[in-house]
Amino acid sequence: MKKIGVFICHCGINIKDTVDVDRLTEELADYPGVAYIENYMFMCSDPGQNHIKDAIHERKLDGVVVAACSPTLHESTFQTVLKESGLNEYQMEIANIREQCSWVHTDIEQATHKAKLIIKTAIEKLKLNESLYPVSAPVTKKALVIGGGIAGIQAALDIADAGFQVIMVEKKPSIGGHMIQLSETFPTLDCSQCILTPKMVALSKHKNIKLYVNSEVESIDGYVGNFNVKIKQEALYVDPAKCNLCDDCTEVCPVLVPSEQDEGLSWRKAIYIPFPQAIPATYTLDVENCLGLEPIACGKCREKCIAEAINYDATDTIIEEEVGAVILATGFDLYPVENIPEYGYGKYPDVITSLQFERILSATGPTGGEIYRPSDGKVPKEIVFVQCSGSRDPEHHLSYCSKICCMYTLKHAKLYKHKVHNGQPYIFYIDIRAGGKRYEEFVQQAVSEEGILYIRGKVAKIYKEGDKMIVIGMDTLSNKKIEVKADLVVLAMGIVPSEGSHDLVKRLKINTDDKGFLSEAHPKLRPVESLQAGFYLAGTSQGPRDIPDSVSQASGAAAKALILLSSDKIYHSPIIASVDEDLCSGCAICVGTCPYGARELNEVSKVVEVNEILCEGCGACISACPSGAAQQKNLTDDQIDNMIKIIASGK
Amino acid sequence: MKDFEPKIVCFLCKWCTYSGADLAGTSRMKYPPNGVVIKTLCSSRVDPQHILLAFSKGCDGVFIGGCHPGDCHYQSGNYKTKRRIILLKKVLKQLGLNTNRLRLEWISASEGKKFANTMVEFTDQIKKLGPIPKINCE
Amino acid sequence: MKSGYFPGCTLKTNAKHFEDSAMQVMEVLGHPLEEMENWICCGTVFSMTTDDLMLQLASIRNLLRAENQGYDELITLCSMCYNTLKRAKEFILNDEENLRKVNDFMYKEDSKFKGTTDVVHLLSILKDRITFEEIKNKVTKPLTDLKIGAYYGCLLVRPKELAIDDFEDPTIMEELVDTLGGEGVVFPYRLECCGAYQTIIEKDVTVKRTYEIINSARNAGCEALITSCPLCAFNLDQRQKETSEEFLEFSTMPVFYFTELMAIALGLKWNKDWKKLHYIDPVPLLKEKGLI
Repeated sequence: MKKIGVFICHCGINIKDTVDVDRLTEELADYPGVAYIENYMFMCSDPGQNHIKDAIHERKLDGVVVAACSPTLHESTFQTVLKESGLNEYQMEIANIREQCSWVHTDIEQATHKAKLIIKTAIEKLKLNESLYPVSAPVTKKALVIGGGIAGIQAALDIADAGFQVIMVEKKPSIGGHMIQLSETFPTLDCSQCILTPKMVALSKHKNIKLYVNSEVESIDGYVGNFNVKIKQEALYVDPAKCNLCDDCTEVCPVLVPSEQDEGLSWRKAIYIPFPQAIPATYTLDVENCLGLEPIACGKCREKCIAEAINYDATDTIIEEEVGAVILATGFDLYPVENIPEYGYGKYPDVITSLQFERILSATGPTGGEIYRPSDGKVPKEIVFVQCSGSRDPEHHLSYCSKICCMYTLKHAKLYKHKVHNGQPYIFYIDIRAGGKRYEEFVQQAVSEEGILYIRGKVAKIYKEGDKMIVIGMDTLSNKKIEVKADLVVLAMGIVPSEGSHDLVKRLKINTDDKGFLSEAHPKLRPVESLQAGFYLAGTSQGPRDIPDSVSQASGAAAKALILLSSDKIYHSPIIASVDEDLCSGCAICVGTCPYGARELNEVSKVVEVNEILCEGCGACISACPSGAAQQKNLTDDQIDNMIKIIASGK
Repeated sequence: MKDFEPKIVCFLCKWCTYSGADLAGTSRMKYPPNGVVIKTLCSSRVDPQHILLAFSKGCDGVFIGGCHPGDCHYQSGNYKTKRRIILLKKVLKQLGLNTNRLRLEWISASEGKKFANTMVEFTDQIKKLGPIPKINCE
Repeated sequence: MKSGYFPGCTLKTNAKHFEDSAMQVMEVLGHPLEEMENWICCGTVFSMTTDDLMLQLASIRNLLRAENQGYDELITLCSMCYNTLKRAKEFILNDEENLRKVNDFMYKEDSKFKGTTDVVHLLSILKDRITFEEIKNKVTKPLTDLKIGAYYGCLLVRPKELAIDDFEDPTIMEELVDTLGGEGVVFPYRLECCGAYQTIIEKDVTVKRTYEIINSARNAGCEALITSCPLCAFNLDQRQKETSEEFLEFSTMPVFYFTELMAIALGLKWNKDWKKLHYIDPVPLLKEKGLI
C-alpha cells in the first residue's frame, strides 16, 4: 500500500478557528494508508513546504494529501514540492477544507467532522492515483487578435514586433475603434487621432501582421497552441488593390446613410471611406444600403470608377487560419440611451451622447471642431453634462461605474471652455472619481481656474421649453431641486460590452461575467488571461477602462501570448480519458458523446482509441461506457466509488 | 433523539459550481455542513451508477452542480447530464425512492450566493424526507 | 371574468362627473360598470410608515368583500384608489405574517382574505380589453383640433411595479386622446407631483405646483388637461383660483377627467351638471371647438 503523508494547514486562524486541527491529526493518524500526519500554521510558506519535503524523504512517502485552501490557489505550489522531492506531481491531492469547510461553517464539532470526511476522500482518491506525465503538443507560432481598437492594435504590434505572425480581424471597414472618434484625450489633452494613426499605419505596414476588415470570427476549433480559426470576410465589392482613393464613387452615389464615424451627426454615402486616415485605405461598399447590387437600379459608382475596382458580384468568403493564441479585444458600446426615455434623447436633437460630443469637438468631426448644437447650429452658451447616465443605478440601469466618464466629461467641459470663452458648463455628478496619474490635478485645475460648475446630484428629467433644454435635477448638497436652462445637454453614457461580442463569446465558449464583460482567470493575479487556455483579454472587452489602462493591459496580454508562442511545445493536462482494450467491446457509444472528436473506433482492432491531444478530460464518454472500459485517469470509477463510500459511511 | 443529520454527496464541476462553492467560502456565506464535495471536471463525468451506489451505501441525498446551459466548458456536457438525470429519476421512482433526493442545479462560478442557498434548501429538504430507506441496487 | 367597479368616496361627491361620464361611456362601449356592494373608503394613500398594518385594513376589507361577492377584478377610476388597493394587496400577500395578522382583523367578514381579486385601472381596460381601435370605431364626434395634455401625476406610474404603462415615459393617455380624434400633447410636467395633500396644510405648495404644471402644459401647446385622479383634478382645477391671485399673469386652463372627453367624442350629451363641478369653466373651449 502507498505510504501517504497528510499535511493539515491552519491557514493562520482561517482554518484553525473552526476546524480542530489537533484532533484531526490525532484521529487520522491511524487511518489505513496514512504513514505520516502533521499540522502547521502555513503549509504554503517556505518552512511549510520544507516540512513536506522533509517528511517525503524521511518517511519515504509515496503520496501527499494537503488539507488547506481551494486547489485553485496552491495546487501547483504543492505539485512543485512533490516534483522537487522526486515524486510525481500527480501523487498529490488537496483537501479543500477552507473555502468549502472552515469558511462556510460555524460549529467547530460539525466543521471538524466534515473536514475529516474531506481529507479521507482525498486519501482514498490518492491511493489509486497513477503517476502521470503531461501530454505535449507543438505550438502554432501565430496569434489571432479579434478587434482593431487601441487595445487590439497594441497587442498585435507587440506580438508582431517580437517576431511572430499576427492575424487581426476587425468587424468594421477600418481599424481604430472608438479611440479614432475621440477629440483629445485626458489628462494631457493630446489629440487622439494624432497619437493613434501612427500606430494604425505601423500595423498596416508591419510585415508580420495580416489584417482582415469587414470580417468576423465564425468559429475557433482545436485547443491551446493549436487553434483552427474560420473567419468570414464580407464580400470585397471594392478591390483594395485597385482602388486609388479618387473619391469619384462617393460623389455619384445617391444614397445617404447616417455616418457611424460621426455617431449619426453627419451623412455618408453607401460607398465611402469611413474617415480620411482609415486603415486599410480603401473604399467600402455598404451592401445594406447600396442600390447597385441590382445594376438596373443604380450602378453609378461602377460606371464612374476608372480603376475598375468595383465588382458587384463579389461574395462573402471564409478564410481559414491556424493560430496558437487568441487575443480578445472586442471593445465596448455606449449603454443604449433609449433606455432612459426621461432624458429625451432622440426626441430633442440638443440632447446628445458623450461620443457625439467628442465628434463635435473633433477637428475631423461634422462641425470641423467648432461647437455648434445640432438643432439650429447655434453656439451653446450654457451646456449641461450629465455624468453617470445609465451608470451606478442598479435599480433601473447599470449597477457599475463606467470609470472613464468623470474624466472625459471634465475634458469635454474644458475643451468647451477653450472654444467658447463666455460659455458656462454645468456638470451633474454623483462622485468625482479621479484615481489616475495626474487625474486629480486635472480636476482641481478645471474647478479652480476654468469656472466649471459642479452640481452634486442626479438628473431626473430633461425637456424642451422654447429653444432651451430644461434640465431638472437635485442638488444633494443644498438639498434643493434645481433647474438649469441649457442650450445643449451631453449625456455621459455608461459603457457596456460591444454588441457583437455577445454572439462571439457564445460561439467561442468564452466565460463572461453577469454584465457580459469577459471574465479574467483571476480578478487580481491573472487579469489578462481568460479561463479558457490560450485566450487573452485586452481593453474594454473585460470592463470599463481608459486608454492608458487598455494599452497596458493589451501589452500584458501580448506578453502572456508570447510566453505561449515562444515555447516549442505546450503541455496538456494528462487527466484525460483512457480505454481498457480488454474490456472495450467496440460499441462506439462513447464516440458520439465526445465534443472534441477525440475518440475514434479502430476498424481493425474494433476497439476505441483516444487522441490524447484532443481529449480535454470532461469524462462524458466514461459515464456513457456500458462496460467500464473507458476510464478517466486519476478519477476512475473505483476512485469515485471509494470516495462515495467514505461520505456514505459518514465516518 | 438527536436531530437527523443527512449525508449528502455533492458532485461539482470544476469550472462552474466548484468555483461557485469556493466563492461562497471566500464571501463567508454560511450553509449546513452535510454535503461533502467530489470534484469532477464536468458534471457529465457523473455516472448514474455513482448516484445509485451513493444511495445504496446510505447517502440521503445526491447533489450535482454544473454550468448553466450554453456555458459548459466542454460545450455540451451539462446537457448530457441533464438527460441522464431525467432518466435516472424515473429509475429512482421505480426503486421507491423520492426523486427529490437527487438534485441537479446550474450554478456558475459567480453564483456563490446561489450555491449557499441551494445547500441550505437541499439539506432542509432532505431533512424533511428523513433517512434513506434501505435499497439494494448493486 | 366577473368585473366589479370600485367607486371610492370622491367619485360620489366632488368627482361625480367622473363617475357619470365613465358609466355612460362604458355603457356605450358595451362593458357597463357594475358597482360592488358594501364598499368602504379605499384607505386613501398607501402608507409608508413602518408599522402600517392598520392602514391597510380598509383596502383589504374592500378586496375581501369583492372576493366574497365573486369578483375576479375590481375596476377603479380614481388613480389613488387604484394605487392604494393594489399596493395594499401586494404588501399583504408578499408576507405571510402580514397576511395572518390582517386576517385576524377580518373576523366580521364572511371569510379570510386570499387575494384572488385583481385591481385594474379603467385605462388599462380601455387599452387592453376594449382596445383603442374599437373605441375609435365608436367615435362620432372627434375632438378635432383640441390639443390636450395628459396629466398622469404620480399614482398611475409609481412605484414602477404598479405602473399601468412605462413608468418614466407613459403614453397610454396620449394614445387615448389621439383615438378620440384630438391631439395628445406630451408636456414636461405631466409626471410631476401636483402637491397632493399639501393642498390642505400648505396651500402655497400646491399653488406653485399648479402654476408650474399648467404653464408647462400651455408652453407645450395644450388647451386643456385630462387626468384620472380627483385629488390632482382638485389641485389643478380648483387651485387655479389661488394661482390666479398669486400670479397675476397666470391664465387659466380647463381640467377634465378623461372620461368626460370620451363621453363627448362618443356622441353622448354634455351634462350641464358636470360644469358645476369644474372651477374653470370648460364650456367656452368646448363650444369654440364645436363640441357642444
